[in-house]
Amino acid sequence: MNAQLNSFVVADPKKCIGCRACEIACAVAHYDKEIKTVGCLDRPLISRLYLVKTAEVTMPVQCHHCENAPCVKSCTAKCIEYQDNKILIDEERCIGCKSCILACPFGAIELIISPCEIEKKNLLSMNTGGKENSSQAVVASKCDLCTRRSQGPACVEVCSQQALRYVDFYTERKRRQSEAAQAIGAFVESFRGQEG
Amino acid sequence: MAKRMREFIRIDPELCSGCQRCHTVCPVDAIEGEPGEPQKICGDACVMCGQCVQICSAYDAFFEKDADWRVQKLRERNMPDGTNEPLFAAHYRGNFLAVKEILMHKNKFTMVQCAPAIRVALAEEFGMPLGSLVPGKMAAALRRLGFDRIYDTNFAADLTIMEEGSELIKRLTEGGTLPMFTSCCPAWVKFIEDKYPELVGHLSSCKSPQQMAGAIFKTYGAGLDGVAGENIYSVAIMPCTCKSFEAGRQEMKASGYQDVDAVLTTRELGYLIKEAGIDFAGLPEEEFDKPLGIYSGAGNIFGVTGGVMEAAIRSAYEMVSGKPLDSINVTSVRGEIGVRRTIIDAGEFQLKTVVVSGLKNVLSLLETVKQGNAEFDFMEVMTCPSGCISGGGQPKMLLPLDVPDAYHNRRNSLYRHDEELTYRQSHENPEIKTVYEQFLGEPLGHQSHKLLHTSYKASS
Repeated sequence: MNAQLNSFVVADPKKCIGCRACEIACAVAHYDKEIKTVGCLDRPLISRLYLVKTAEVTMPVQCHHCENAPCVKSCTAKCIEYQDNKILIDEERCIGCKSCILACPFGAIELIISPCEIEKKNLLSMNTGGKENSSQAVVASKCDLCTRRSQGPACVEVCSQQALRYVDFYTERKRRQSEAAQAIGAFVESFRGQEG
Repeated sequence: MAKRMREFIRIDPELCSGCQRCHTVCPVDAIEGEPGEPQKICGDACVMCGQCVQICSAYDAFFEKDADWRVQKLRERNMPDGTNEPLFAAHYRGNFLAVKEILMHKNKFTMVQCAPAIRVALAEEFGMPLGSLVPGKMAAALRRLGFDRIYDTNFAADLTIMEEGSELIKRLTEGGTLPMFTSCCPAWVKFIEDKYPELVGHLSSCKSPQQMAGAIFKTYGAGLDGVAGENIYSVAIMPCTCKSFEAGRQEMKASGYQDVDAVLTTRELGYLIKEAGIDFAGLPEEEFDKPLGIYSGAGNIFGVTGGVMEAAIRSAYEMVSGKPLDSINVTSVRGEIGVRRTIIDAGEFQLKTVVVSGLKNVLSLLETVKQGNAEFDFMEVMTCPSGCISGGGQPKMLLPLDVPDAYHNRRNSLYRHDEELTYRQSHENPEIKTVYEQFLGEPLGHQSHKLLHTSYKASS
């Protein structure tokens, strides 16, 4: 099996308390400038992972960077691509056709106003269905695993419960193999001890 | 009691996800609810410190709600319509709209005061580095907002030291209830009244700097400008979500009027500046107005835990021993640990002090006071974790990871400002000397007693 499987971030619903800090950290990591305080926000926070809270489960969902990604297949503008073990959207080429939103089994893709357009207009008008929307570029947006961030995904870093995990399959498999070998080794040792 | 509090701090059940992180910071365990369900604040126990407001991250995700819903919520919270801030579940209901109206109509003579912690945090709301020291820009912004007099809480903090230092010496020498507790923090005062009514006599009778300023503005300040007290609208900018409650207390009418008409938090001052279209970072450095805007470094460090104690020692040491302090920086009372004990040798006196930050840390000390075993004379208590710089009304960090940096930088900036000021001791402030000569007489005198001191009611 190819060791170069795509990584992704996954949440543990047993640990998640639903505080939404991951969503805030995601939105801040993708903001167009460095901001520290709530008062510095000149446009709404837009996250790329989504807290789901139902009677049965509380956890955020985000893009799984699928190996056979339906969004890539569905994209009419061919702007969703595999790059460095991630699935990334080239927002400049996106035409906003929404095919990817229908294709994604995780509901992990959302349409947002293009970051360059946001500077010109207040996003609030989008919700009111104002006429000015027609001139705004709406693009598909999803988790990019914080590709511009040296510390890795912001959601993983901020979680106070360690409920989010960045899954690197190569390391993950090595770790599990190592744990398995140790467990098996100990068992075999004890078995020998009983025999002797 | 709940009615009196007007529910300054609330948790919106539509937004609360029941993560209960607020439980970890509430110093009085006032938040109730099941995990995963909307939480409720128990009105009687809440001391309105606003730490829950600071930690809450359950917000209105943009695509989940429509614009009408948002506008209605903004109005309920007295927030500006145009703000892009997310709405968080735990929130403070402030006075932004009332103050905006007053400044618009200009039919009152407006006086404003800012607590020390504002000048090391306000700039954060305008993208400047955490803890930026901006007293000059803050004064300039207030002037552009249309306030007629830019006075300062730090002046009143110097006044507090004159009164509280004298009160401490009097209690030590003439016999009085000891140990004495500071009374600047309204959440702490409310806590004692509610939970330790038998100890209210230990609180200093001094009002907080906010309320001393309020009483002086509408009396002495009114006289300086030839304005009747009833025509003055007095605004206090505070890092605190409990100060509005303090200003509204029945007894806070020493001037004959409501001494402080409205309290805004640091964040609310940020809204006013943004709405007025003021380029905060580009403002020039301006001065506060004389005389009630002149302050010493001692008044300035009230904003950080240990600051009131240090300021008191800087003056009381000299009052008692007649000698100057070896070092103006009383570093032994500084620090971040929740309980800090020090012994100050002042000639014939040995003053045993305790500084407490974070209300939970005071509980065991109060038990020793109740049992009569307290091994200290004077205790400073601040409800918030690092003192007022970490107050519930301060700029809210988007990421919890930035909180330690914010506290650290604000604290350092307050001490740096202290070091760069001409006067470092409250009794050296020339305008403090003048206000006693011309108006108050002497510390603990008749006029001071009337305007600057109060009494506490044990809640039952």
